[in-house]
Amino acid sequence: MTNQLASKRFVVEDLNHAIEFCYQQGWTDGLPVVPPTERAVRAMLDAAGLEPDKQVAFITNRQVAVSAEKIAVNAVMAGCLPEYMPVVVAAIEGIADPKWGYHGPATSTGGAAVLMIVNGPIAARLGFNSGDNLFGPGWRANATTGRAVRLVMRNVIGTVPGALDRGTVGHPGKYSYVIAENEAESPWTPFHVERGFKPEQSVVTVMAAEGPHQFYNQLSSTAKGVLTSLCDDMKHHASTNGQPQYVVALAGEHMRTIAKDGWSKADIQRFVFENTQNSLAHIKRVERLAGAVTPADETTMRPLVPSPEDVHVIAAGGRAGAFSCYIPAWAGGKKSSQSVSKLIQDRRA
Amino acid sequence: MAGFEILDPTVEPRKQALTYVPRPGSLQGKRIGLVENTKFNSDKLLAKVGEILKKEYGAAEYKMWRKHNSSVPAHDEIIDEAKRGVDCVVAGVGD
Repeated sequence: MTNQLASKRFVVEDLNHAIEFCYQQGWTDGLPVVPPTERAVRAMLDAAGLEPDKQVAFITNRQVAVSAEKIAVNAVMAGCLPEYMPVVVAAIEGIADPKWGYHGPATSTGGAAVLMIVNGPIAARLGFNSGDNLFGPGWRANATTGRAVRLVMRNVIGTVPGALDRGTVGHPGKYSYVIAENEAESPWTPFHVERGFKPEQSVVTVMAAEGPHQFYNQLSSTAKGVLTSLCDDMKHHASTNGQPQYVVALAGEHMRTIAKDGWSKADIQRFVFENTQNSLAHIKRVERLAGAVTPADETTMRPLVPSPEDVHVIAAGGRAGAFSCYIPAWAGGKKSSQSVSKLIQDRRA
Repeated sequence: MAGFEILDPTVEPRKQALTYVPRPGSLQGKRIGLVENTKFNSDKLLAKVGEILKKEYGAAEYKMWRKHNSSVPAHDEIIDEAKRGVDCVVAGVGD
């Protein structure tokens, strides 16, 4: 049994009143929440092997300590199973990392959500979707772990839309934005292994991100052909103004086409880096950069991201269909926010 | 137990005393620091502010710094130089 829980308690008439009470208190994301009882919260803490008063993260600019207990309360509300708790904890550690830079992406008019990519054995064990309808509804692990992170941001850190979260348009990923890599069918090195973890470790990567942009190529049967369509879309998308990183999620058909040509993730990264550059002249002509176009601007190329490694390639999405997607990070530059990978830890003794 | 008991998912804000540096009675002869947040035209706007402070309020001079990005705090070099070289700072978020 864990130590005493510190949270204030409220007594209401019954379950229905509890759901409405959570709405009245402003504790929800607009959808009903599971009322957090002590029993459910303790199950969440026990599954992660965490004492309630353990400080998981500290958000400097808000001067807020995020305790395991508060994460557990919000995870219950989000509908998480207890065994999801370590994933939520690792994601909170990620967004509290100075490299992720909480203040910018959480509050910016740029409207970023927290994209979570789950890698390692825990993804299949807990049923994280990495295939059909990659970002779609229907998978409890995907739907509730991201929702739990967003509820912690709202209820613990104070990132309330319209108040401290000033996203101009935002996007639906702010409810939950969680995917796994399709490691079972991928021909490539898993993303977390590229980031320095072992294949048998489970890892969550958080990236402050815009919504997914789908692209289509049913015509080409070569890696170069498919990726040329991707690059044409990426280099002209509406936010080409300093995104520090991108995720490229290659789904079944494209994944197999590219792998058939023997391209590694590094080959894909290099190709995308080289083929998504815009001339300064173009950027000025489309009014994304001030100033008159000079002759030199015609041949001065600006890369989309600082380096090829900033294109995070993963295998994910349905087996059928000539679609894949790319996801731009929040446009704050790497000094403001970059993707962070955290080990999902089993702390039970 | 009568009723249905639930736990509060929120935290009480941490109370913290903040002390502001005393404001100068006058800007006469003061050196002004301007922190520019990188948004389009913020440098032009602040330069106008600097000129007004000189012409209408008698400030001696102004110096402008540019942050790395609008969403991050002023970096250490700005803070260090401001501490050494100016008497007042104008900063803000223009969007």
